[in-house]
Amino acid sequence: MADVILQVEKLSTGYGEVQILWEVSIQAKRGQLTTIIGSNGSGKTTLLRAITGIIPAWSGRIIFNGEDITNVPAYKRADMGLIMVPEGRMLFPEMTVYENLEMGAYNKRARQKIKESLEFVLHLFPRLKERLNQKAGTMSGGEQQMVALGRGLMGCPELLILDEPSLGLAPKLVLDVFDVVKKLREEGITMLLVEQNVHLSLMLTDWAYVMAEGRVVMEGSGEELEKSDEVRKAYLGI
Amino acid sequence: MDAWVSAILSGVLLGLAYGLAAIGLNLIWGVMKVINLSHGAFIALGMFAAYFVFHSFGISPFVSVILILALGVVVGMLAYFVALHRVISAPELSTLLSTYSLSLIIIGLGTFVFTTNPRAIDVGLGSIKLFGAYIPASKVLTGLYSLIFTAALYVFLFKTWTGKAIRAVSMNMTAAQFMGVNTTFILSLSFGIGIALAMVAGALIASVFPFTILSGGIYELKSFVICVLGGLGSPLGALAGGLLLGLLENVLTLKMPVGYVPFIEFLILVVILLVKPSGLLGKE
Repeated sequence: MADVILQVEKLSTGYGEVQILWEVSIQAKRGQLTTIIGSNGSGKTTLLRAITGIIPAWSGRIIFNGEDITNVPAYKRADMGLIMVPEGRMLFPEMTVYENLEMGAYNKRARQKIKESLEFVLHLFPRLKERLNQKAGTMSGGEQQMVALGRGLMGCPELLILDEPSLGLAPKLVLDVFDVVKKLREEGITMLLVEQNVHLSLMLTDWAYVMAEGRVVMEGSGEELEKSDEVRKAYLGI
Repeated sequence: MDAWVSAILSGVLLGLAYGLAAIGLNLIWGVMKVINLSHGAFIALGMFAAYFVFHSFGISPFVSVILILALGVVVGMLAYFVALHRVISAPELSTLLSTYSLSLIIIGLGTFVFTTNPRAIDVGLGSIKLFGAYIPASKVLTGLYSLIFTAALYVFLFKTWTGKAIRAVSMNMTAAQFMGVNTTFILSLSFGIGIALAMVAGALIASVFPFTILSGGIYELKSFVICVLGGLGSPLGALAGGLLLGLLENVLTLKMPVGYVPFIEFLILVVILLVKPSGLLGKE
C-alpha cells in the first residue's frame, strides 16, 4: 500500500468574491502518477494554484508529506519538495539553459544535490547538453518544455506537479512529453499531472480525478475512467 | 588640446558615477516595475551622509562609501516595507505616487534640518596628471569607485544565489516563487540595492561638486535620461548611457554655456523617445 504524499481535504477557494473550487478533495500517492482531467474552466489550474500556495485557501486543508501546509507560504513549499512545472513553461527567458536548471535547484534541499540532479536531467534530455549556454527564450516550444521539465526535476521533487505540459505543442512533441512522463514514472518520481490530452494521460496514469465546475465529479483508475461512458462522451469525443 | 583631454576624461569619470546612479534606478525598474521618483532624494541623502561622516569624523567619502552602501541597503529595504510593499501589485500610478511622496518627505525634512545652503567636501587629495591634463584626484577616484561598484553588482547578480534570484524575479516572479524564492525579500532587497547605489553615487559625486539637499533632482533627471539612452531594464546600457551623458556634458561645455547642457540632455531624451523608445541598446 503506497503512502499518501499529498492530501487535499475539502478545499474551497477562488478569486475576490468569486468562488471557483467547492470542497475539492484529492490525494496523490508516493511513487504514483495521479492525473486531474477536466475541461477549460473546471478549476484545475485554480486547484494547482492553491496547492502551490500562489492563492490562499478559503477553507479546507492541504497536507503534504504529513504536514499541514495550508498556510505555508509558496516559496517554503518548494523547500519541502513540492515542485511545480507551470503551464506555459514560465522559463527565465534572459537566462541561459544552464542558469534555468540551476534556478530549479534554488530550494534548500536541492542545492546540495545539484551535480547529481544535473547529471540525471542531462541524461534524460541529452539534447540540452549542447544548449546549456543558449538563452532559454530563444529556444523552440518543445525545447523550452524540456528545460521546464528539467528545471522541475532539478528541485529534487517529492511531488512533481505538471500543469498542462503538452499544451501548445505539435503532436509529435506531445508524444515526446508523454514519453518523458512515462520514463519519470518508471524512475519512481511521484507526479501530479493536469492535462487536456485525456486519452494519453489516462493510458499512463495510476489514478485520475475528473473535475467539472469546481468540483471533483468522478475518480478511478485510468483504465476505469477510459471505459466510462461519461468520460468518453465529455472528453474523448467518442 | 589639454582642455579636450581634460573634458573627455572628466566626462568618462563622471559618466561612470551617473551610470552607477542610473543602474540603481534601472534595477528597481527591472525587478519591481517601479519608477523610483525618490531616487534623487536618496542621491542627496548619500551626499549628506558622506558630508557628515567627513566633517564629524574626518573620514574620507572614499572610505565611508562602504558604510553608506550598507546604510543604503538597510534604509532602502525599510522604505520598501513602508512605502511600496502594500502597493507593489497595484497599478503603476500608485507606486509612482508612493515614491514621489517618499521623495517629498525626505526633501522636506532635509530642507528643514540641513537648509538649502550649499555644502562641499574638500577631500584635499590634489590633482593627478593623466595624458597631459590635470584631473582632480577625487574625480579619478569617483570614476574608479563607480566602475568597481558596477562590476561588484554584476558579479553579485550573476554569480551568487541571491543575485540570480533577483534576476529570476525580474523575468518571472511567479516562476521564481515556484523555485522557492522568497519574492517579498527579493523585492525589498532589490529596492535596498537600488537605493544604496543612488546613495553611493551621491557620496562620490559630493566629493567632486558642491551640493544642497535639492541637488538630487538634477542627478535623478540624468538617471532618467541615461536609462532612456541605454534602455530601461538593461544595466549595461545604463553604464553606456552614463558615459555618453558624461562625455556630452563635459565636451559640449567647451563650446557652449553650461546652461545649455540640460536643454541638450532633454533634447536627446525627447528625440530618443520619438525615434527609438526602447533605448539605444534596448531590445525590441
